[in-house]
Amino acid sequence: MTRADLVVIGFTLALLPFLYGTFWNRQGPADAALIIDESGREFSIPLDTDQQLHIDGPRGVSILEVRDGQIRFLDSPCRGKQCIHAGWLKESGEFAACLPNRVSIAVNGSEPLYDSINF
Amino acid sequence: MLTSSKEIDLRYPGLPGLLLIALLAGLGLSCSEPPQQQHKTQFMALGTLVTVSLWGVDDDDAAEAVMAVEDELNRVQKTWHAWQPGTLTEINAALAAGETIDADPATLALLDKARDLAHRSGQLFDPAIGKLIALWGFQSDDRPDAPPPAKADIERLLANLPDMNDLVITGQTLSSTNRDLQLDLGGFAKGFAVDQAIERLRDLDIDNAIVNAGGDLRAIGAHGGRPWRIGIRDPQSSGVIATVDTKGDESVFTSGNYERFFTWDGVRYHHIIDPRTGYPATGTVSATVIHRDASTADAAATALLIAGKDKWRRVARKMGVKQVMLIDSDMHVYMTPEMEKRVYFRTGTPPRVTVSEL
Amino acid sequence: MKPGTDRSVITIETTRQDHRIAWLTALAITIHIAESVLPSPLPGVKPGLANVVTIAVLMLYGWRTAMWVSLLRVLVGSILIGTFLTPTFTLSLAGAVSSLLVLGLGGLLPGRGLGPVGYSLLAALAHMAGQFMVAYWLFIPHQGLFGLLPVLMSMAALFGLVSGLIVMAMVAKLKERTS
Repeated sequence: MTRADLVVIGFTLALLPFLYGTFWNRQGPADAALIIDESGREFSIPLDTDQQLHIDGPRGVSILEVRDGQIRFLDSPCRGKQCIHAGWLKESGEFAACLPNRVSIAVNGSEPLYDSINF
Repeated sequence: MLTSSKEIDLRYPGLPGLLLIALLAGLGLSCSEPPQQQHKTQFMALGTLVTVSLWGVDDDDAAEAVMAVEDELNRVQKTWHAWQPGTLTEINAALAAGETIDADPATLALLDKARDLAHRSGQLFDPAIGKLIALWGFQSDDRPDAPPPAKADIERLLANLPDMNDLVITGQTLSSTNRDLQLDLGGFAKGFAVDQAIERLRDLDIDNAIVNAGGDLRAIGAHGGRPWRIGIRDPQSSGVIATVDTKGDESVFTSGNYERFFTWDGVRYHHIIDPRTGYPATGTVSATVIHRDASTADAAATALLIAGKDKWRRVARKMGVKQVMLIDSDMHVYMTPEMEKRVYFRTGTPPRVTVSEL
Repeated sequence: MKPGTDRSVITIETTRQDHRIAWLTALAITIHIAESVLPSPLPGVKPGLANVVTIAVLMLYGWRTAMWVSLLRVLVGSILIGTFLTPTFTLSLAGAVSSLLVLGLGGLLPGRGLGPVGYSLLAALAHMAGQFMVAYWLFIPHQGLFGLLPVLMSMAALFGLVSGLIVMAMVAKLKERTS
């Protein structure tokens, strides 16, 4: 264990709490999911209504399903189908993505669908 | 460069194990840290409901910040209200009497900016038509129950309708080449007030906030790890038709024909008067503008509602606003591509949309 | 190269070192493939277990060799799994390149420099950071992605530390065998 090693370890021990403090979202029941498509467009989907969503991506159409307050990838034009294997997302902070088709889902907690209304 | 000649130190094998435990402990501790706070406070100012949202500010600082915002908004209101006594009423009185009046640099800067925006909007946004606004009764917050003005009165004003180019600024002095010129900063003052409020927050080292004055807002920073999310209300109902995530520092302003109006004999007259006709602008239900500073966004939204679906692109281009959305009386949506990228429509069936470059 | 008597055959003599490096590369590839079945909060982003081999090679044979082993691992591994030129491949490559860069820099430290734990930890953090950045910039420019960053970096730190211990043991064993 050299001195440089200890510096690296010290740096890591300082880095992790900083990351949590800055980026960690509270856990909690989910009521909305944030979807991002290939153009970087983001939109919020409430999880209270059962529905299916078709999101266009470079590989084709990814189909998302919302049911019983949960959301999942139902189908996607990728080879690995890892996004589908991620299964149902229901807790705040849960995340699934189809990288080849550039579609991702992030579940929000007790975050409101909007912070302020413009009218 | 490392070669195998460097000794690998195996003297303290137990140390990594201890550090592993320390790492896990550190993780455990940081997980239980309380999350950043959001504060949301409402109060009345500028004749409307104001909501201030703050992120990452502790309780004491938040209270202080909200008070600062309220004070600033009240100060602007007092100075620029066209009806109640203040700087603006003094100026209007002098101009009506054909006199000159001195003004302080801040006032001059504001009027200069208003004049510039008016010019770039093709005079569609024009604070010089205060007399016309007053004729309609919209200069005050409380319009008495009365019929719309007579056509003759409107036409008389229209014959010699002043515009901002008639306002002369020489050094510190204001004067006018048209005795009918009365300043009404209604289509601009809210934006200006919001800009000032944001500056006050920045002075207090607050970089993540939303100041929302009666639906028109400026958002700076973000809501912790995610952007501030703004809902855009459906002109026809109280639901939210679309959402926009703000980035960095942006204002979202909407002018609508449903905000202030009166009804007489079954006809609705709203407060955004078209200087070309002397009557409330027709054809467009709302115009939404996203732009960095609120005063420009406010003026542009007003001008674009008047410009309507035929002229909005030209006016937007001249005013330098790139993210615009117009909804006409048929609920047909017009947008720039930049706006289309950012707005997500939440209604099940997307409304009729036309996307066109400026 | 020793010129052979038969001109149509070129003989390459390999050393014991070459054998060892080939063996280590194969090991790295195997670990890489095994790692691909692990679930991950963010698809394609892996803790980088194969880095164990990279670090061992680094300490025994130097940075350049470690670089070859690492890149071969990513290339061959992805071809074998069938993810060549997919986003997964890009992420693996990003991770490998980031860790190599950081390891190279780490080697420039004066004095005794870094030990296996330091190298491992740095490499793991760089590996994860590299993958995350590529995922963010190329695939999911999503603010919400950052919500995963603390967990991903913690995983990386943990694996880095554990790998460091494994490397310490591995290198000691390998040193025995060479001498």
